[in-house]
Amino acid sequence: MSAEIPKDSWSGTVRTVTLGATPAEGGTRSHVVTVGGQKTLPFMHFEQVAPNRPVVAVEIKDRCPEDWSPLLLEVWGDAAISPAAWAKQAEAAGAHVLVLALSLTGDDGKPTTPQAAVAATKAVLEASGLPLLVFGPGQAEADNELLVAVAEATKGERIALGICEDKNYRTIVAAALANGHCVTARSPMDVNLAKQLNILIHDMGLPLDRILMDPTTGALGYGIEYGYSVMERLRLAALQGDAMTQLPMIVTPGFEAWKTKESKVGRDVPEAWGDWRERAITWETLTAVTLIESGADIVVLRHPESVRRVRQAIDDLMTVPETV
Amino acid sequence: MALSGIQIYKLLPQTNCKDCGFPTCLAFAMKLAAKQVELAACPHVGDDAKAQLSEASEPPVRLVSLKSNGYEVKAGNEVVLFRHEKTFYNKPGLFIRLRDTESPDEIKTRVAAADGYKVIYVGRELALDGFAVEAASRTPAAFSAAINAVRQISHRPLILISRDPAIMAAGLRLVDGERPLMVGADAANWQAMGDLAKQHGAALAVTADTLDGLADLTVKLKDLGVQDLVLDPTAQRLGASLALNTQIRRLALRKNFRPLGYPVIAFPGDADEPAQESILAAHAIAKYAGFIVLDHFAPETAYPLLVLRENIFTDPQKPIQVQPGVYEINNPNADSPVLVTTNFSITYFSVANEVESSGLPAWLVVTDAEGMSVLTAWAAGKFDAERIAKAIKTFNVADKVSVKRVVLPGHVAVLSGELENELPDWEIRVGPREAVDLPAFIKQSL
Amino acid sequence: MVNHMAEHTVTFDTAPQPIHVPTGTLLVEAARLAGVDIHQPCGGQGRCGRCAVVVREGTVRRRSTLRLSGEDVANGYALACQSVVEGNAFITVPPQEAIERRLTTDLTAAAVAVPAGYNPTQAQTVQRVRLSLPPPSMDDQRDDWSRLQTTLRQQAGIELIRASLAQFQQIGRALREGNWRVTAVLDADAWDCPGCPARLIDLQAGHCPEDTPLWGVAVDIGTTTVTLWLVDLLTGQARAQVAEYNRQITRGEDVISRIIYAGKNNGAVELRDLVLETINGLLETACKRVQAQPADVVKATISGNSTMIHLLLKVPAESIRLSPFVTAVNDIPTLTAREVGLNIHPEATIDCLPGVASYVGADITAGVLASGLEDSDGITLFIDVGTNGEIVLGSRDWLVTCACSAGPAFEGSGVVNGMRATKGAIEEVWVNGATFEPTYRVVGGGKPRGLCGSGLIALLAEMSLTGVVDKGGNINTVLPTPRVRLGEHGPEYVVAWADETAHGHDITITRVDVDNLVRAKAAIYAGFTVLAERVGLPLETVERVLVGGSFGKYINVEKAVEIGLLPDKPWDCFHFLGNTSVRGAYLALIDREARARVKAIAARMTYIELSADNTFYEAFTSALFLPHTDLSRFPSVQAVP
Ligand code: SF4
Ligand code: FES
Repeated sequence: MSAEIPKDSWSGTVRTVTLGATPAEGGTRSHVVTVGGQKTLPFMHFEQVAPNRPVVAVEIKDRCPEDWSPLLLEVWGDAAISPAAWAKQAEAAGAHVLVLALSLTGDDGKPTTPQAAVAATKAVLEASGLPLLVFGPGQAEADNELLVAVAEATKGERIALGICEDKNYRTIVAAALANGHCVTARSPMDVNLAKQLNILIHDMGLPLDRILMDPTTGALGYGIEYGYSVMERLRLAALQGDAMTQLPMIVTPGFEAWKTKESKVGRDVPEAWGDWRERAITWETLTAVTLIESGADIVVLRHPESVRRVRQAIDDLMTVPETV
Repeated sequence: MALSGIQIYKLLPQTNCKDCGFPTCLAFAMKLAAKQVELAACPHVGDDAKAQLSEASEPPVRLVSLKSNGYEVKAGNEVVLFRHEKTFYNKPGLFIRLRDTESPDEIKTRVAAADGYKVIYVGRELALDGFAVEAASRTPAAFSAAINAVRQISHRPLILISRDPAIMAAGLRLVDGERPLMVGADAANWQAMGDLAKQHGAALAVTADTLDGLADLTVKLKDLGVQDLVLDPTAQRLGASLALNTQIRRLALRKNFRPLGYPVIAFPGDADEPAQESILAAHAIAKYAGFIVLDHFAPETAYPLLVLRENIFTDPQKPIQVQPGVYEINNPNADSPVLVTTNFSITYFSVANEVESSGLPAWLVVTDAEGMSVLTAWAAGKFDAERIAKAIKTFNVADKVSVKRVVLPGHVAVLSGELENELPDWEIRVGPREAVDLPAFIKQSL
Repeated sequence: MVNHMAEHTVTFDTAPQPIHVPTGTLLVEAARLAGVDIHQPCGGQGRCGRCAVVVREGTVRRRSTLRLSGEDVANGYALACQSVVEGNAFITVPPQEAIERRLTTDLTAAAVAVPAGYNPTQAQTVQRVRLSLPPPSMDDQRDDWSRLQTTLRQQAGIELIRASLAQFQQIGRALREGNWRVTAVLDADAWDCPGCPARLIDLQAGHCPEDTPLWGVAVDIGTTTVTLWLVDLLTGQARAQVAEYNRQITRGEDVISRIIYAGKNNGAVELRDLVLETINGLLETACKRVQAQPADVVKATISGNSTMIHLLLKVPAESIRLSPFVTAVNDIPTLTAREVGLNIHPEATIDCLPGVASYVGADITAGVLASGLEDSDGITLFIDVGTNGEIVLGSRDWLVTCACSAGPAFEGSGVVNGMRATKGAIEEVWVNGATFEPTYRVVGGGKPRGLCGSGLIALLAEMSLTGVVDKGGNINTVLPTPRVRLGEHGPEYVVAWADETAHGHDITITRVDVDNLVRAKAAIYAGFTVLAERVGLPLETVERVLVGGSFGKYINVEKAVEIGLLPDKPWDCFHFLGNTSVRGAYLALIDREARARVKAIAARMTYIELSADNTFYEAFTSALFLPHTDLSRFPSVQAVP
């Protein structure tokens, strides 16, 4: 009995997006990271070997995030109070790229100033040669103000500016356009909304190879299935030739997982939840790996042990087995 | 192959007689295409049509169920490759493996922990499904002792692992009347194993490291009369397992390739490193395993896996919902406004994002509107004064604020009167229709 | 070889004298030099076709003929903004109205025609007969009623009659007043019940003149608009056609609000009274036009969505909106005006047409009848662009239908400056892509008061094409024009300044209006795509698209495609039918055959519930974009320069 392996051949290819620029390219990164380029559904190497592997990003902050889980603050320790030190440690932990998430306020409780945001970004760029993504605090006005300053101060570094949303994308996209950066485009777990935002951003003149899309996910237990299916559908659409979905995908399982009660807290939880640390790391890892299998190109993580496990899973997924 | 509604309609009598309980033949045909009714509901279909229609409805992946007294674990019957197309139906069974080289006491302790494990997730009680006993000692006596030890504690379905028909036979005798899964048949032992499976009414897994090898075995065993087969592609790493499981599912679904139209079993416990076991198991849940055998049981890994299994196997047609409750936006305090909306995720997101990005603190009360948007829910009677009042009361919103004032979405301004009656000590305010206008409204009017 | 330096003489029919221009001069420029004003609504981009002129003699080079048919070009038409002078030419500038009439993409609903061979005695259920009864005498002491019955049998061949108590109270007087000569109006046999006893509607003393009209009305109760046609049943002619907003609107814009309102206190009575007031008001107006009395109307056929019919009859409608969404009754036996409360002859027959389901009512079965869809060979799509947005897909073999709750935006309701397509409504708009200045056309030609459905469609299309709104429907606030400004409801675009309007206020379209329109069009687009998907047919297999709706007299198909309301198909697939519901009611009013067909249609339509799963929602969000998230579905829109 001989089974003929059914191979899909798709008309579409996911675009590649390159983050970071080396000195030769006008930046200061020690190397660049390229994601995307797939011609098959995730890891179907028997159809065609994927040109680029999924990438692990580690999220660091410009100031110590008091509201993060104690597990995270403990593991990063003193590094968490200095973006430069944190960047170094994240690199050592295995990050392929870094995400610097800016805070809404500084240590003094006053709104983060553009100067402070630029200083933090520069410190990170000096401390580590990894490509960088910079996310604003998530409020339209602050995002626009801080990201424009950061974009200008890092012209040519090809960082990714985030996060563009349908109600606030023009300023960030304009800053990326003017300074040679990329953007991340986030939409709320919906194939159509993701695509619409890509079209709107692209209509402003930003080339598609400078857009990462973030279809948003829920954590395990908090809607991961929607993120999972939206990503599968976006990738299917991309392969079927829909140009406006042919963008690499970034998701933030670290942020989502560490927001859940399961990861965040260790006390006053059901006994059936088991050991806190292992549970929290498993929560983050399973969220990340499940999404990688559905098409994520960049996962943004928080715990170094998760980074190690997810990287190992990626190695495993990228190994082309001889038997098939 | 699946037929469309119109194709089925052409095979029906087209008299619109309503005997099937549907207003027209086409309505019935469309339900049939969606597999929501049985063909038998129409008493007037001709034999020809019947033959054509029933062929089209045979499941491409055979349903295999394991049974023990009172328990059943089902796998198979899947019809899609991607969960957004249609629900993945049968959640893969999660089993814990024990080896007969462990002492019966050790076995009992481990079984007791896993058997009694329960965890509550969104109101549902989740548990593991059964145990796998492996004849690692290669002696019938130790195997039997191990099975007995398990059975003293748990009555959940069993997977028996041995390639030696004699040892397997010893094990099977102990679980007469049940339907365990035997692992398994290979190129050498398939005949003896097949006979045992028939004799005991057990399901049988076939083991081979190529798809052709698996297909060979299932064809032979089917000829021998064994129907309930399971595939063990023996892939131990993520990449290989993903490729093999995908190929098997594609062959079954797209090519209607019957020799591989069976559920798959996975052994994440074979991973190189314990930390990878849960990752492999998670992968097996999402990517097409029917039975998953773990080596380790711990609440902190069982819980996430059980949750993932619930998530992946939810009905994709259900609208995306968020948990009803009170959501804190930008650290609200007692003076912050109270907003209400429904639990349809897009609705929730648009309201929450709008307010969040304005930096204004607020309490957002999310009511259970069965995942519908404000207008739809209101139309269907799922977002009315009564429900809103109930949410405000059950979530104890009054305790969180000093001013009892709640902002209704502008689209349901009509509810304000009734809501005043339901919540007499609250001030009811009608907010804007669109979420974008919320920040301005909060700044100007509250 | 063309000499580029050459000067040519160009003569415009409306210019005082010819002018001389070099090769390559645009006709609009030549016209300007000649002192002829050629209007360029789209800013000379070759999009609107409104600058068409006729080249009577000589040649011009047409760079683009996008808006012209082959026939037009053969007849000398050229777009003045897209054509250049290459030799001497004589050019006529047609009046604007002539251009508009000729444009291929504007579809105007055909006028109503009485079906060929209409024969009232055969087709009509209501009969008027003149009777001469033998007076009673001591030898003939039959009662009045028996006397009437016998005479009816003998003189009109009508066997049995029924009459109401009120009638019995008047029979004697009518017979004697007319000196035993009377005119009787009877519902001779109910259309669906041949052989049933005939019912007396009216008995008048004396013989009325032969040519006195016998009045009936066809009524369409729309959620937003009520339409009434006053018909002479003897000739089949619709003698007056009137329409007005449904007065129930003040109690809620959509059927759901109405149902909820009806469930409260006195709501059901109030809503019934409001719709009766609306209809009775329309009756007055219509009757006045033809010098008739409402009491002369002896038959009414009523069409409307299920909710409207329930509310008219004060039948509880609550179950319509709650799962599993069933009506109290889909097919109501005939009633009398007295029971219903219509201000026509109290004994007049009221015939409510049958519906299919909660959200597919008589308006749609009537629409299918009027559109001829039930009898078409190829697969036909029927779209009713109304508040409920019902859709029917099928052919002679099968019919499926759904409703997609579009909202009243295209009927001009729920939009700040929206209005019905009556005098003063802007029904067509062009926006100049360079200056963002609009040009519009007003129904009735005077100053504008607002925008009707077709105007809104055109405006949205133009705003989208010229970048006044982006594909997401956001108004671009940084455009260099005072017409885009920040209003009370956020960004808005001014279509007409206060000094150009009839009421002295700016006519604007706001961001919220745009959202409403986009939602309405998205619901309709999603409705028919999902319907086609459910039966497993690609939209390409649809041969004809019939568009109905009470939103105006005409629709600009091209613009409706540009905003993604209608599928991107060749324009000749589309047929605009206007208000098909009232047309269907009209046909059922005058022809019992047609009435029987409506019933058959209702019985074989398969209703598809869109809310059963989330495919509709998916399709809806993907359509919430201009024209659509999947741009490949609208190749012709992308191709527009
Ligand atoms: S019972 Fe059969 S013939 Fe009758 S309506 Fe149903 S499907 Fe049609
Ligand atoms: S086409 Fe010439 S002005 Fe519009």
